[in-house]
Amino acid sequence: MTQIELRNINKHFGPFHVINNVNLTVKDREFVVFLGQSGCGKTTTLRSIAGLETIDSGEILIGGTPVHMLKPEARDVAFVFQSFALYPHLTVFENMAFPLRAVGMAKAEVAATVERVAGVLQIRPLLKRRPSALSGGDLQRVAIGRALVRNPKAMLMDEPIGSLDAKLREEMRVELKRLHVEQGSTTIYVTHDQIEAMALADRIVVMHAGVLQQVGTPAEVYANPVNLFVAQFVGSPVMNVADVTVSGAAGAGLVTVKGASEGFAFPPALLAQVPDAARALKLGIRPEAIEVALTPAEGHLAAEAHIVEPLGSHDIVDIRVGDSLLRARTRPGFVAGPGTPVWLRLDPTRAHLFDSETGNSLGIRL
Amino acid sequence: MAAVRTAGEVFRHRASLVTLLLVLVIFLGPIFWITATAFKPRNLATTVPPTVFFEPEISPFVKLMTKRSQIRTAPAPEVYEAAPWWEKQVYDGGEKVVRSGKGEVQLSGYPSRFLNSLIVAVTSTLLAVSMGTITAYGFSRFKIAGEDDWLFFILSTRMLPPVVVAIPMFLMYRAVGLNDSHLGLIILYTAFNLSFSVWLMKGFIDEIPKEYEDAALVDGYTRMQAFFKIVLPEAATGIAATAVFCFITAWNEYAFALIMTNRRAQTAPPFIPSQVGSGLPDWTVIAAGTFLFLLPVAIFTFLLRNHLLRGMSFGAIRK
Repeated sequence: MTQIELRNINKHFGPFHVINNVNLTVKDREFVVFLGQSGCGKTTTLRSIAGLETIDSGEILIGGTPVHMLKPEARDVAFVFQSFALYPHLTVFENMAFPLRAVGMAKAEVAATVERVAGVLQIRPLLKRRPSALSGGDLQRVAIGRALVRNPKAMLMDEPIGSLDAKLREEMRVELKRLHVEQGSTTIYVTHDQIEAMALADRIVVMHAGVLQQVGTPAEVYANPVNLFVAQFVGSPVMNVADVTVSGAAGAGLVTVKGASEGFAFPPALLAQVPDAARALKLGIRPEAIEVALTPAEGHLAAEAHIVEPLGSHDIVDIRVGDSLLRARTRPGFVAGPGTPVWLRLDPTRAHLFDSETGNSLGIRL
Repeated sequence: MAAVRTAGEVFRHRASLVTLLLVLVIFLGPIFWITATAFKPRNLATTVPPTVFFEPEISPFVKLMTKRSQIRTAPAPEVYEAAPWWEKQVYDGGEKVVRSGKGEVQLSGYPSRFLNSLIVAVTSTLLAVSMGTITAYGFSRFKIAGEDDWLFFILSTRMLPPVVVAIPMFLMYRAVGLNDSHLGLIILYTAFNLSFSVWLMKGFIDEIPKEYEDAALVDGYTRMQAFFKIVLPEAATGIAATAVFCFITAWNEYAFALIMTNRRAQTAPPFIPSQVGSGLPDWTVIAAGTFLFLLPVAIFTFLLRNHLLRGMSFGAIRK
């Protein structure tokens, strides 16, 4: 039963407030992913939990015990580094046995444990080799093996597959998920790759400038981003964001993209919830929530396709509306090419309105 | 070597081989000369043109290690017959080995000077490298107020020409009774080498990724254990290189050894030239002393060659 709690933790690097009053509870056996751009404080938070950084204020509890004053070796957590940090002068076996020898485990038991974990990770044939003789994927397996042997209270992973090539990264992602399902240790995983986060996490923690932006399941974070930062960080391609004005005329609400002559029709009930229509607003809409038609249709606005990116399973079409480019997702080959006239409709149930000044979502849903 | 070579390239290749051979001859010439002279009978040492082919003998080494005196007349046949083979070679050269009243061979000053050199050089190298490594680790891994100033200060201790401090050092050493003592020379050479050792080791330790220690810390080791189990093995190449340089400096040091010591703690460098003496110098003995003096550095470097040649292996880190 290992629960990790962060209570009001703060840290500064000189003038930079790198961790700003972070509160979070990671439940037992949960896989939590810290997602954010580089420099957002996610790695520093992880290192603080491991004891590799000291925090300025706040409390860190692992399994109910305050650990923020303990040295790393007393916290019983395992850490997987982006660089793997395998000791080059030791063989794979010795690397994996290293944490066990720290606690003075008997020789036979060390060998048995390393063998067992190596079996799980399918790296038994590599045990006698040195790290310099291994491929990227195998290095990563050994690094995870070194973390697993000790059966630690928590696994902390700092972009463990960030330095692998794209194909290998996909394979290792599946393997990490399998390992977590099998081993079930409480895991915190840091990444800047939102696809990794979506694929692996029980819950995603989006961080920006040292502040937690949103904590939720991948589906929640994707469907209901609390602010523009989260909206534009999660999803690929990212959510379209356009300056809009909102008006209600002739019984139908209209959302007009800045610079456009006509507005999209929205249910008046939705727009009635906008507290102050005069306020500058931004519309957020995911590419799959834009419906594209090749013939004029009821409630559709005329526009012109700008660029078409064929991606195999689907196409991404850039369409100019007013001053903004909206990117829509279509069937492959649906839009012939640049210059094709198209008609658009936005799905109001999947549209988001954000306050332009604060960037926060108005939280208006149909 | 599968690439096609043009005639010009072949010529350049051969020319560079010839040049290399020439350079090699120039560099190895003096060493060959010393080695050859060390095994020559005395009468062949200074011939013009130089004798290249001769029957090697060890009389120069026997004479180097023992006290001896000139003899005017050849020894009596029974004395000659009773002498061991190595002493016969000395008799053949017109000298005899001096023995004590009990008939024991009396040693010259060389063996004890050589031993002094070993004691002083090995001890000061150990001290300079170990202290330098720990200091460098501190500078490399921790934030230290005025770090750059401290490092410059450490380097600045090497900036004064040794000659400038020789006389003050001699007076201070005499005042505290450190002159002509092993400890005195060890302190002096350690101080010489320390700044060099700190700077060199800092460069090597900076190259060792901090993640290794971070990993060792979360693996359950203290920082001290991480230093000994991870940093030291990783820094082996740097330690070997630093040790070789420190050893060479301490081993070859001449000026301070000449000033600070005269008998008890005298090292080999000031002793060897003192054997030139007055009258006709015996070049074979001096060459033998020099030849032996060259060996420890050669052996030390040879033993550490793998560490010196092995590049830092960073195969396990992705940058």
